[in-house]
Amino acid sequence: MRRAGRAAFTTVLVLAVCVAVAFLLLPVASIFWRVGLDGLVDGLRSDVARDAFRVTLKTNAISMALILLVGTPAAYFLATRRFPGRALVVTILELPLVVPPAVAGIGLLAAFGRLGLLGEELEALGITIGFTQVAVVFAITFVASPFYVRWAIAAFEAVDKTMLDASRTLGAGPAKTFWRVALPLAGGGLGAGAAVALARGLGEFGATIMFAGSLQGVTQTVSLAIYQEFDVNLDTALAISAVLVVGSGALLLAVKALPLWTGSRSTSPSLFARSASS
Amino acid sequence: MRRTALLLGVGLIAALPQLAQARPDVAPRLTIYAAASLTEVFPRIDRRSAYSFAGSNQLALQIRQGAPADVFASAAPSFTQALYRERLVEKPRTFASNALVLAVPRSNPAGLRTLFDLRSRDVKLVVGTAAVPIGAYTRQVLRRLGLSDALSKVVSEEPDVKSIVGKLALGEADAGFVYRTDVRAAGGRLRAFPIPARGQPNVRYEIAVVRASRQKAAARAWIRALTQTARARVLLRRAGFIVR
Repeated sequence: MRRAGRAAFTTVLVLAVCVAVAFLLLPVASIFWRVGLDGLVDGLRSDVARDAFRVTLKTNAISMALILLVGTPAAYFLATRRFPGRALVVTILELPLVVPPAVAGIGLLAAFGRLGLLGEELEALGITIGFTQVAVVFAITFVASPFYVRWAIAAFEAVDKTMLDASRTLGAGPAKTFWRVALPLAGGGLGAGAAVALARGLGEFGATIMFAGSLQGVTQTVSLAIYQEFDVNLDTALAISAVLVVGSGALLLAVKALPLWTGSRSTSPSLFARSASS
Repeated sequence: MRRTALLLGVGLIAALPQLAQARPDVAPRLTIYAAASLTEVFPRIDRRSAYSFAGSNQLALQIRQGAPADVFASAAPSFTQALYRERLVEKPRTFASNALVLAVPRSNPAGLRTLFDLRSRDVKLVVGTAAVPIGAYTRQVLRRLGLSDALSKVVSEEPDVKSIVGKLALGEADAGFVYRTDVRAAGGRLRAFPIPARGQPNVRYEIAVVRASRQKAAARAWIRALTQTARARVLLRRAGFIVR
């Protein structure tokens, strides 16, 4: 009786997994089923697709550079220091995670738009952001950076404090300790965070269309191109989508592979502890 | 305990189809798919129906994909006629006309004085995509007036006319082609420069009952009320539409 109950429970669990897999896989698989190989090649040959990928890669590359450049030291500081108001700072940095992209778009307009908070100052300096690739970079950076910062803080916090202390007692300064000890040890986590942020940035839509508009070859990223093409040329929209699925899938695999990869080279006990528990 | 949870789960799954069809009212409510430029006037004419406003091209696509529309009102006859040929809607009829204007933010940041300043001045121009009616009409206007070069000043192509209005009302863009009715609906946030008659396209709105509708009789009555009652005609005219 008890064994029958256990078997029934396992059946329910397996069923749940099957339902989840089927529901989540079906839409993604359908894209490939609808587009076919010929459609994929034709769709990607179109100017719209080519321009969209160029714009997306360029803006995301700049955004990621900015995010890594500012996010890494910020995350290191927040992970290693305790000060009053730290929780508040972390919460502020994480806020864009939960804010809907449309709200992000409105916020960026309200801050950097022509009639926005800094609009007059920017105008006086001769800087225009709206409808330029700068606006796209702003939108991507705003929505994607919290993903990186969050992972980066966790990665630095997971670094064994005794390693940092050892580095300091052996005579390395704080900057050298950061470069030679903390950064390599947290590398896997940082890479995973960067991959997650990049995935979010590649898919960015709402804030971009509101803040940057949509113009082929200038501000039209792949997500905007899919949206525009789906009632003009569905094949192009499907082809771009298929490439995005493959790209995002590769990023996801990278996230899963990265911590293991550095874990095997590392001697940090905390990393061993983490791989044992996961 | 476990059984109740299981029952609850099964019950929830069984309730899903009902949930999908649930309507807030007991009485059947019509679902009207209408061009974005009708956003303000349709609810004023009839508050009870459910509306989906977007670019006519997007709405036509959604109806092709089986969207649950009862009535389709398009800002260009091409979309209703195409669906009619595909036997997806009943015979369309014209119910209003409109005209294009060049709209600028009230502050007029680019200092435009006429439409033809588009030729000389550095202007951030916002237009519709070529697929949406407002974008197609805009390209006609520019072609007829020999202003097609102005397309090089386009900073954004928007999916429907209300997105153009939004970019202008915020002052982000300097100018954009919209319908005359949109300027009126924007209530003082926009200024309009007229387009000479020789450049004006024939902006005709068509409306049709969707064949897949389960409330075709009610849908036909709705269209009759829109086209024949004095109140609807007055409200359309007041919004700036041309009603014969």
